[in-house]
Parts: sequence; C-alpha cells; structure tokens
Amino acid sequence: VRDVNKWSLLVLAVLIAVLLVLPQVVTSSFAVEIFIRILLFSFIGVAWNLMGGYAKQLSLGHAAYFGLGAYTSTIMQIDFNISPWIGMIAGGVVAMLASLPIGWLCFRLRGPYFTIATIATAQALMLVFLKFRDFAWGAEGTTIPNLGSSPLMMQFETKASYYYVVLGLLAVGLLITYAIEKSWMGYYLVAIGEDEDAAEAIGVNAPRIKRDIYMISAFLTALAGTFYTQYIYFIDPATAFSFSISIEAALVSIVGGIGTLWGPVIGTVLLETTSALLQSWLGSSTGGIQLTVYALILMAVILWRPTGLMGMLNDLLQRRAQHEKPAQARTVL
Amino acid sequence: MLETVIQAVVNGLLIGGIYALVSIGVTLIFGVVKIVNFAQGEFVMIGMYITFFLFTYLGIDPLLSLLVSMPVLFVLGALIQHFLIRRVLGPNDMPQIFLTFALSLLLLNLSLLLFSANYRTVHTFYSDEALHIGGIYIPVAKLIAFVVAMGLSGALWVFLRTTDLGKAMRAASQNRDVAMLMGINPNYVFAVAFGAALALAGAAGSLLMPFYSAYPFVGQVFVLMAFVAVVLGTLGNVIGALVASLMMGIAESLGIQFVGADSGLIVVFAMLLLTLAFKPNGLGGGRVR
Repeated sequence: VRDVNKWSLLVLAVLIAVLLVLPQVVTSSFAVEIFIRILLFSFIGVAWNLMGGYAKQLSLGHAAYFGLGAYTSTIMQIDFNISPWIGMIAGGVVAMLASLPIGWLCFRLRGPYFTIATIATAQALMLVFLKFRDFAWGAEGTTIPNLGSSPLMMQFETKASYYYVVLGLLAVGLLITYAIEKSWMGYYLVAIGEDEDAAEAIGVNAPRIKRDIYMISAFLTALAGTFYTQYIYFIDPATAFSFSISIEAALVSIVGGIGTLWGPVIGTVLLETTSALLQSWLGSSTGGIQLTVYALILMAVILWRPTGLMGMLNDLLQRRAQHEKPAQARTVL
Repeated sequence: MLETVIQAVVNGLLIGGIYALVSIGVTLIFGVVKIVNFAQGEFVMIGMYITFFLFTYLGIDPLLSLLVSMPVLFVLGALIQHFLIRRVLGPNDMPQIFLTFALSLLLLNLSLLLFSANYRTVHTFYSDEALHIGGIYIPVAKLIAFVVAMGLSGALWVFLRTTDLGKAMRAASQNRDVAMLMGINPNYVFAVAFGAALALAGAAGSLLMPFYSAYPFVGQVFVLMAFVAVVLGTLGNVIGALVASLMMGIAESLGIQFVGADSGLIVVFAMLLLTLAFKPNGLGGGRVR
C-alpha cells in the first residue's frame, strides 16, 4: 500500500509541474484558450460532483449559481467599483444563500423529479434576470469595462494569467473534495447516495447533509461564474444562466466517473478535447454536432461503463496489479 | 371583460388538450416503467417533422398522418425500451435519468443537423377557419386537435381499465414483482407502455402541425409543461395528468392575456414552485417518489 502511495504522489508532483509550466511552453493562444476551458469546466464539474456525484443528488440547475456568481461580482464591479476578487467571494455567499430556498423546494422531490425541479429553478432565475432590466441590464447584458492590465480587478493582458487563476480554482475545488471525501461528511454523502432511507435509518441527518453539500457546491460554482465573466468581458442572462453549463457540469462528471476525485477532470479532458478537434475539423458552422457527439459519448458510458473513465482506469490498474503479483493476490484471497 | 376571460379560458383549454397527450405519456411511462422520460418532448418534435414531410412531399393531411406518426413512434418506443431503457432499469437513478436525457440531447441536435433550425409550417384548408359562438372565437384546427386529443386520452383510459393488457400494465405499475408472479411478462408490458406513450407524443405532433411551427427545440416547450402537469396531477396518475394539463393550459393562457405575451413560462414556473412548496405530492395526494 505504501508503494502505491509513493507512486501516486510522484504522478501528482509531475502533473502539477507540467500544469505550471504548460502555458510557458505552449504559446499558441488557441491552445491556452482550450486549456482554460478544460480547467474551468473541470472546476465546475468538481463543484457539481460534490453533490451530484457523492450524494447522487443529480442537479441539472447549477447554471443558477454560475449566473448568480457572475452577476453579483459584475454588479459590484460596475455599480460600486468593487474588485471582482471580493465580488467573487460575495457571489459565492449569494449563491450559498440562494441554495437554501432552492434546496428547500427541490429536495422535496427525489430522483428524476429533483432533477426537473433544479432545471425549472435555474430557468426561472434566468427569466428574472431577463425581465428586470433595472438592476441587471435585461436581455442585452453588458460588457465589462476593460482596464488593461489590472490584476487587482482580475483583468490580465495575457491568457496565461487567466490560466493560472482557473488552475488555482481547480486546485481549491480538488482539495475541498479530497478533504470532504476523507471526512465523516464524505461517508455520509456516499451513504445518502447509495440509499437515502437506509442512511436516515442508521442516523444520518440526510436533509442537513444535503443542505450543507448543496451550499458548498453552489459556492464553488459561483466562483466559476465570476471568473468566466471576467475572462470573456461580457455578461447576459443567456450566457450566465445557460442550460448548457448545467449540462456540461453533470456530463463531465458522469463521463469521467461520478463520485470520484479526478472523474470530472478526466471527463472534461475527453469531452473538451473531442469538441476542440471537431471544431477544427468541421469548422464552428455546423450547429449541433458537438452536442450530438457528447450525447453519444454519454449514452455509451451509461450503457457500458456506468462508473466512467475512472472506473475503467481502476479496473485496468487492478488487473495489472494482480498480473504482476499473482502469488500475493492468491494469499490475500 | 367576461368575454375576454372566457376567450382566454377556451384558448387555454384547447392547447391544454395537447399538453395532456404529452403529460399522459410521461405519467404512463413513470407509472409503469418507473422512469422519467426526459426525451418525451423530442418525440413530439419527431411527430411534427413526420407530419410536415408527409404533407410537403406527399400532400397528406396532418390528420391522416396520425395513422403514420402514431404507429412509427409506437414501434420506435418499443425498440427504445427493449434495447436501451431495459438495460438501465433498477434501483439506481443516475443511468435512468441520464440515458433519457442523452436521448433527448441526441435527437434534438441530430434534428438540428439534419433539418436546420428553420421553422417549418403546414398550411391546410382549415388552418385559417374559425367558429364564432357568441363573441367567442374558436379556431377549427385547435378544436379538432382538442377533440382528437381527448378521444385518444379516453381510449387509453378505457384500454387501461378494460383490456387484459391494460390491466397487466396497471398491475405491473402497482407491484412489479407480484405482477411477474402472476405470469405477466414485464419486458413486454414495459415495451407496450413506452410505445403507447410515444404514440401519444407522435399524435400530439401531428395534431399541432396545422397551427404550430416545427423546429428542433419545439419539444422543450411541451415537455416542461408536461413535467409540471405530471407533478401537479400526482406522479403516475393518468386522470391527474389530464386534469392538470388542462389547468396548465388555462393558467398559461390567462397569464398571456392579463400579464403579458411572454409570461407563459413564468406562469408555468410559478405553478411548479407553488406546487413544490405547498403540494409536493400533487393535488390528489399520494406518494412523492
């Protein structure tokens, strides 16, 4: 067991080193943009996975928190000239608070109807921001004033700087997931995900745990919203509350491996790379092709590998371990 | 004023008939197969495209194309149940939700690729006809759609109540294991239920075509409405879904008349949120799950 730990630490160290030097080595801004997308959606997937993966509360409404984070920091920046770094945290808090009433409503339903309720609440929030043009620019949205190089206002001249910001976010998300996975809360979450009634019967306070993990998940998703708005210098309800953000958050986690630390990251690498390749082959004019391919990948994973790519990887490693040490494996059995 | 209210109620009732066909399908699948079909709206879309192409290339009236769209979608439904859904049935929600969700994503984006995002319409000789009763204006195409929709709903209800297969379906929905012990083949019953639900969605598509445009995203409008109606009418309850759909149609139409033309969706969401807050088990009571 110690052997395995040493190896995985080494792999992790190499991975971190590679990720840190990557934007220095690869200078093509097209490539760095793709890296940023991969890191961003990995982070959103990690946030989704905390609740959707471990506790199996399958939300398709995380765009609500992405949008709330984006709007909170933008409104603070444009109306009060407050730095998006502070706005980002504020957006997280707003999302956390919003998750309380939304969760109160949606957790009344279970399974697929929970999923539908989350879709409806996210769409309803989008409608609110479309309707009330007085405080959030309505359907037209607004551009973020470009201040040139201004790191204190989360505005950078190089794409590489944005890369490091979102890399930092992903690291925070993964560390939080790791900490939760190892704590009592992680076990409670998995218990709820396996069978909520049974978990409650053995004394897990399921409503409280679900509420808490929803708050954490919403907080993290909101951080991604602020980052994205700062990155593209634009906000409107259709982008900030886009259903496709909710879809992608769930998709990358399921394809990568639901309820695993690295699942959302691996899933995003596969899906975003596929999408980038498709775009460079076919051009961006063919609407629908990207999601058609995503849907086919999702169906294939569900029908043949419900544990996702992480499950495949684990099977592979186990088979190799057994192959290398047949004698030991036999004595254990 | 009174006339405006009555007119809005009539409009809502007429479109509510179409909502009913979609929601009855959703609730039938949920009741018997115990899954929520996220792709139900896309089958309405397929029904609309079948009707559109039959009319445009062969000149077949949308009402006659019911005889094509319903059987085609019934077979499609039975095949989907047999080859896809059957493989993910079980206690785990995740594969069930995301399989039908992936199906919805796939059909929607495939139709975007094949048919483009253009709006397709069909113009029949009765598309512009209307009856005037008192001061009330009733478009003939919508009236036909409503009457046929109610007829099909009634036929399904009679089928579930009186035929052996219908009774087997209700038995399988109440207790799958006991039904199996009684000699009911669940795979057969599920395939028929899924097929019947999709046939209703196809019928909704054909009936809509004389007065509604077909486009790849059209199903989303109807499926959202259906989900709310199914929760409101108590999950798995056919009559509940029917009544709730008519109510939703009326509520939406009153919203459009008195709040604003684009407030239809807001009314739907408001109804869903109110239902969740105060009657999470639906108006008829019953179980949440």
